[in-house]
Amino acid sequence: MVKKSPLYEVQKKLNAKFTEFAGFEMPLLFSSIKDEHLQVRKTVGLFDVSHMSNVWITGPDAERLLTLTTIEDASRIGNNKSQYTTILRDDGTIIDDTIFMHLDDKFMIIPNAGMDEIVTEWMQKQVKKHHLDATIDNVSDQYVILAVQGPKSKEVLQELTDVDLSKVGFFACQYATIAGETCIISHTGYTGELGYELQISSAEKAKKIFDKILKSGKQFDIKPIGLGARDTLRLEKCFLLAGNEFEGGRSPLEAILSWAINWDHDFIGKEALLKQKEQGTYQRLTCLKVPGKGIPRHGNDVQKDGKAVGVVSSGTLSPCLNKGIAMAYVHPDYRGVGDTLDIMIRGKKVPAEIVKPPFVAKDWSTTQE
Amino acid sequence: MSEEVRDDLKYTTEHEWVRVKDHVARVGITDHAQHELTDIVFAELPEVGKDVKKGEELCVVESVKSVSEIYAPVSGKVVKINDALDDAPETINASPYDDGWLVELEINNPDEVAQLLDAAGYKKLF
Repeated sequence: MVKKSPLYEVQKKLNAKFTEFAGFEMPLLFSSIKDEHLQVRKTVGLFDVSHMSNVWITGPDAERLLTLTTIEDASRIGNNKSQYTTILRDDGTIIDDTIFMHLDDKFMIIPNAGMDEIVTEWMQKQVKKHHLDATIDNVSDQYVILAVQGPKSKEVLQELTDVDLSKVGFFACQYATIAGETCIISHTGYTGELGYELQISSAEKAKKIFDKILKSGKQFDIKPIGLGARDTLRLEKCFLLAGNEFEGGRSPLEAILSWAINWDHDFIGKEALLKQKEQGTYQRLTCLKVPGKGIPRHGNDVQKDGKAVGVVSSGTLSPCLNKGIAMAYVHPDYRGVGDTLDIMIRGKKVPAEIVKPPFVAKDWSTTQE
Repeated sequence: MSEEVRDDLKYTTEHEWVRVKDHVARVGITDHAQHELTDIVFAELPEVGKDVKKGEELCVVESVKSVSEIYAPVSGKVVKINDALDDAPETINASPYDDGWLVELEINNPDEVAQLLDAAGYKKLF
């Protein structure tokens, strides 16, 4: 059964063209993916992210549970701070990536769309196995997530809250009243632009906030943004999309998430990662830019001089660069920045240059007219 | 949003249009098709001289989000391709029936033209 976003009717009136994603009917676009993408880079956009999941973890062992099941040591994440991390299987492969937020004596995790039951069941299994005193509460059906992203996002939200947003640092999170409704605000996002995400505990509250953000944002020319642009925005910044980058079983080492691994604590999957690290021959995520024509897509093979060296996990046309861009898992011997690899697109060799992430630099919009 | 269907053209169930003049068929995608695709960012056209059979892949049109195969509505030889689409693929969105044409085929089986839908037949698909 396909779930509709609680904002479906509102978005229909805004001319949304809907698509199915992970069992949810969500707006793919409102006007055009390219326009919405550039809108977020240059001004501000409002996203409905209600398809993603919300799970509370509480109890005396809540922090211990997170420390055990993620690559982060949760005791290092102070109150009102959040952290990007991954939950691993015993073999070191990623079950899901998520942000977790420390809010007083509770933690909230944000699994990907359609992953709430898998993640909750996994966590529950560990609670039992390790005799932890922790409660896991899947509130995905109640919560709605909205994201306001873009250079004007702070101004748009500041109009609607008494919280001094200049004091909410990067990855900080806290309870707040936005547009007269209580919610959780975090200085986080999936676009690489200045932005905030709101975790709202009911559809009714979310509809009110959505409406007020569009109204208050009018003076900043705010627009609603669909999933199409959400994907091109994140790919330009080399952010991972679970369904693509973790397909077939990938470890945080392969996904270039070593920076997020805290090796000083015991966690599920650690032994497997240490073995993989020692062996060293695993494929690594690599950024490829197509200087000519051609758009790489998920699943395209990557070759060097006719030899298979990797596979594209995510590919698209970058609206900012007007060039094809891709992230691909590539054998370590063929990843030199500046080197050329061939992406096989419909049987044709399309040369692509290996570049350093991100594809689009911070504050790109300030370099445009 | 009302989508345009031109009365003087022939159509396929795959949302291609065909304009036949003498033995040449000019092929494109309909207003409905370009609307479904949204922003077209790339058109991969065939080589001039290529022979195609009706129903075979003729060319590929890509939006940001998706890849769409366009099939030959009739059999023939590619005699002309719309080079302007190389730099401006979005022309297909702006002008699907005129400036956004894709390929011209020299028809080698005129009976196939009769098998195409007329405008009324195409409208029935919606």
